[in-house]
Amino acid sequence: MDKLLQLGRSLLQPLLAVFVGLAAGAVAISIVGGSITETYAEMWKGAFGSFYFFTNTLSRATPIILIGLGVALAFRAGFFNMGSEGQMVLGALSAAVTAIYLPGPGWFKLTAAIIAGIISGGIWSAFAGWLDARFRMNLLITTLLLNYIATLFAGYIVSYPLKDRTGSAAMAQTVMIDQSVWLPKLFKGMSLHGGFIIAAVGAILLFLFMRYTVKGYETRMLGGNPLFASYGGVQRGKMMLFSMFISGGFAGLAGSVEVLGTQYRYLDGALTSPGYAWSGIMATLLAGSHPLGTAVAAILLAALQTGGMGMERNTDVPLEVSSIIQAVLILFVSAKFTYSFIKRKKAGS
Amino acid sequence: MDFFLDASLYASTLRMVTPILLAALGGAICARVGLFNVGLEGLILIGAFSAIVGNHFTGNVFAAVLFAILCTLIFSMIFSFMSIHLKANVIVVGIALNFLALGLTTFSLRAVFDVKGAYYNKDMVGLPKWDVPILKDIPWLGEILSGHSPLVYLSFVLVIALQLFFFKTVTGFRLLASGENPTAAKSLGIKVSRIQYGAVLMCGALCGLAGAQLSLGNVTMFTEGMTSGRGFIALVATMLGQSNPIGVAGSSLLFGFMDALSIRLQGFALPTHFTMMLPYIVTIAAMLFFKDKGYMQEARKSNESSR
Repeated sequence: MDKLLQLGRSLLQPLLAVFVGLAAGAVAISIVGGSITETYAEMWKGAFGSFYFFTNTLSRATPIILIGLGVALAFRAGFFNMGSEGQMVLGALSAAVTAIYLPGPGWFKLTAAIIAGIISGGIWSAFAGWLDARFRMNLLITTLLLNYIATLFAGYIVSYPLKDRTGSAAMAQTVMIDQSVWLPKLFKGMSLHGGFIIAAVGAILLFLFMRYTVKGYETRMLGGNPLFASYGGVQRGKMMLFSMFISGGFAGLAGSVEVLGTQYRYLDGALTSPGYAWSGIMATLLAGSHPLGTAVAAILLAALQTGGMGMERNTDVPLEVSSIIQAVLILFVSAKFTYSFIKRKKAGS
Repeated sequence: MDFFLDASLYASTLRMVTPILLAALGGAICARVGLFNVGLEGLILIGAFSAIVGNHFTGNVFAAVLFAILCTLIFSMIFSFMSIHLKANVIVVGIALNFLALGLTTFSLRAVFDVKGAYYNKDMVGLPKWDVPILKDIPWLGEILSGHSPLVYLSFVLVIALQLFFFKTVTGFRLLASGENPTAAKSLGIKVSRIQYGAVLMCGALCGLAGAQLSLGNVTMFTEGMTSGRGFIALVATMLGQSNPIGVAGSSLLFGFMDALSIRLQGFALPTHFTMMLPYIVTIAAMLFFKDKGYMQEARKSNESSR
């Protein structure tokens, strides 16, 4: 009973935030003169209305879940990893290049491509961690800067050396990946692909890792109380490299499954313009860095996005209502820290 | 070599640099009081949009700029209230505000002008171009320095003014003190949270100007998400300049020059990706040499408490 009460209390704030977000959206809808109930009904239909739309939502959620998991791990260890975008882009690029140029059977290329994506995303992220551990350079700034370098580098690669010159020459993209290397679709004719299963498994594995392993405990301890952690023999530098590598690896994996499951090529801007990286960070914030919660929050955010598209197709209300709802949601969840902060202050000092 | 002697390259550098510089100065003020403002991008966007709205409804450029400042002030109130009063994590609030700004401006673009993507009106008048009397007659230099919008000149005046404010006035010292050691400042009777509110509002006003220069100075239109990362570049310029107004101006000029250069290089068959990459690489290299300062560590502390 106690546990149930605790669960209810921890869910109260996010639910309240969702409610406030929807209320803010309702204000916006009524400003443009739409019917609130009708608009939200269309939004619901666009996200969950039919099996087709539901799978659409899940496939949009796939990269968001993976990025969110990576950021969640870094947050738990006390590091603000803002570089998911660059890590994802590099992961996607290396996965695409591996899948196109590596010889061998399809399953082999697929595995190699995914591993290449994880490793390159991880290394890019660990590089920022190394700069912080070795030179005390602010992680927040270096990860932000490395985003630009990564996206510009990937943009260069697909605009010049590896550009697809077979079709219309306007797009900066690599050639199409061979069909034998594609991630299989889960249902015929739907966009949902095997990457979603990878994301779901990743969420469960990360949850078990954080909960039951020594390394996971050390990570949580480092984030929760760095002084106590160093007293207990946790080396900040080593843990930083480790957790940043895993964190970036998840982002790289997100890029790989997008390339291998949805786009089948690296297309410049296809990963950055939908803002997957920022949605992933938002999902983590929403769930308070809990791995399973992050997955649920990612699906919620993806539903808001796909629902917004459905709403725009069928009503006069612009799509951006959903981004207003998302932003207000995050703002209100951020006040959660305060809420517990006040309580702790009253109880403690 | 002719290429680098071309005056219009430097003139466009000055135009490019102004929004970044104004926002970076705002970021510097926030950093100095220990609030790391990741929301610059959103603040500039709100400024750019409200400048266009003000211009549309009043038809007066001066009123439009004032309206832009007013709107960003209201918006930065959210930031200060959440982060100072409710003690929410500044980074989280900043990220959320960027999203809110992007959503709100695009949404309002539909609601106010009933267009999607961009708003452009040929009758709309942008910021005036000032020809500086004597300066404009100097052959090469005149071409560079003259004929800009008043905000371009204002931004450089502000650099000097802020430098004097920070290091020569009592209020400036109080501001620095409340960032470096809030507890000590409080014990001296300095109202830290009031100073923080003031700093965030000042930052908001500067970002409003930055946005106005972006939408009414550089071009005369509004495009969805037209800041395209300038807020983050300004943030980096703040860091690179160690939150010193003069240093911030220097690093912003570097970014502006690279921006202008990469646009110019598009005319040649050179990949612009590398010229655009250069400022970021330079920044990382520069961060090796300029390490943590006291106030930076305060900012770090507030950054690292991620939950």
